[in-house]
Amino acid sequence: MGEVIVVTSGKGGVGKTTTTANVGTGLAMLEKKVVLIDTDIGLRNLDVIMGLENRIVYNLVDVIEGTCRIRNALIKDKRYPNLYLLPSAQTRDKNSVTPEQMKKLADELRDEFDYIIMDCPAGIEQGFKNAIAGADRALVVTTPEVSAVRDADRIIGLLEANEMKQTHLIVNRIRMDMVKRGDMMSSDDVCEILAIDLIGIVPDDESIVISANQGEPLVGNDSLAGRAYLNICKRILGEEVPFLDLDQKQGLFGKLFGRRKR
Amino acid sequence: MNNSVIIKGNKYGIIVVLNPDMPFEELKLVVAEKFKESSKFFENAKMAISFEGRKLSNEEQREILDIIGENTDMHIVCIMENDPGAEELFKKTVEQKLLELSNNSGQFYKGILRSGASLEFETSVIIIGDVNHGARVVSKGNIIVLGSLKGNAFAGATGNTNSFVVALDMNPTQIRIADTIARAPDKPVKQEVKETKIAFLEDGNIYIEPLNKNILQDITI
Repeated sequence: MGEVIVVTSGKGGVGKTTTTANVGTGLAMLEKKVVLIDTDIGLRNLDVIMGLENRIVYNLVDVIEGTCRIRNALIKDKRYPNLYLLPSAQTRDKNSVTPEQMKKLADELRDEFDYIIMDCPAGIEQGFKNAIAGADRALVVTTPEVSAVRDADRIIGLLEANEMKQTHLIVNRIRMDMVKRGDMMSSDDVCEILAIDLIGIVPDDESIVISANQGEPLVGNDSLAGRAYLNICKRILGEEVPFLDLDQKQGLFGKLFGRRKR
Repeated sequence: MNNSVIIKGNKYGIIVVLNPDMPFEELKLVVAEKFKESSKFFENAKMAISFEGRKLSNEEQREILDIIGENTDMHIVCIMENDPGAEELFKKTVEQKLLELSNNSGQFYKGILRSGASLEFETSVIIIGDVNHGARVVSKGNIIVLGSLKGNAFAGATGNTNSFVVALDMNPTQIRIADTIARAPDKPVKQEVKETKIAFLEDGNIYIEPLNKNILQDITI
């Protein structure tokens, strides 16, 4: 029986889609059968980040409305044969789908896949309700900014109200140099406010922008962010992986002067 | 035309204005006559009744109700008490009691109040957990937060100026006690040591001070 994971955040632009793409690809790398569902109907993103836009024929709304079978709409990834994408529709809006329909769709996919990952739209309206409807587990993505943390707090409250079984936190785009100067919240500060378990810390990394533009998720490569994402995947599988030391890529000066432990 | 009894009414009830000076026995006859005349008008309406102009004993009230019953088909559902003095007394006693109850009795709430959450309590409340930014807790009595208070707290919601707010980590966006509102300073004050603090109302101002023995002695509940 597969597990349904929703990636959500409340605030836009904190990295839900990037996280979905990288965690999904990472799990596929670890030889799990994975399907990514873009539930942001009206604003397609995930297919672009995955570099699969040119393969789209059918979409989520087609499947829900019965225009095509699930099998026809699923796009096989270009790198991993056990990774699939169900893209969202661009010409429709969130109200074309109900939470019940999403739950049914997720349940149908459980038999065939190990992980069904939902990329949730920003906000707390219909799109959010659709995305969390069938989920067993939620990954809440936030950046160390007060507005993102505030929204994450609200989202966690809503997930609790909807009886989400497991909720984990990913602190994205953290900059250790700023944390050290006291100009940015540390992951500990964020955790103290939100009071849920941390499953990953991803540093702010230029290579993420580059990989997104190229449509190649960077999970598993040598960059810090790539390693951080792979660690998240391993933790999802239940492995105990220590958190990365995000200070290490600081160059000579950092190494000489920045040896203070957090 | 005899004006010693006047019937006023609407869809739901009638007010019977009685002459205070006429002997009761005579008055009864007039009442009977009046209701007989208007029985067609009322038919079998279900109504509340209230008496004005004259203080009636329970016995007298019952007699008048009997007269109405005999002369009309209407059903009197209840008698509305129309004594301003008694009402004021009831109101005062009930409010006093409720106020005491809300301050003296309390309940526990365990959990984190997250952004957007709003909880209201009839009594004092002890929250085991944090009240995060954007969350709100309202109590008619006192609020005690065993965690950090970062959102809004409103104690003494029905106007009790003796109410107070205590938090292990006091860092609220807004605190309201009775009708007084205090807000956080625009520039956040970095406090080095986290200590338990109490917010209370004195001379129309809200003060936040570390909780110590002297302050505890001044608390009235």
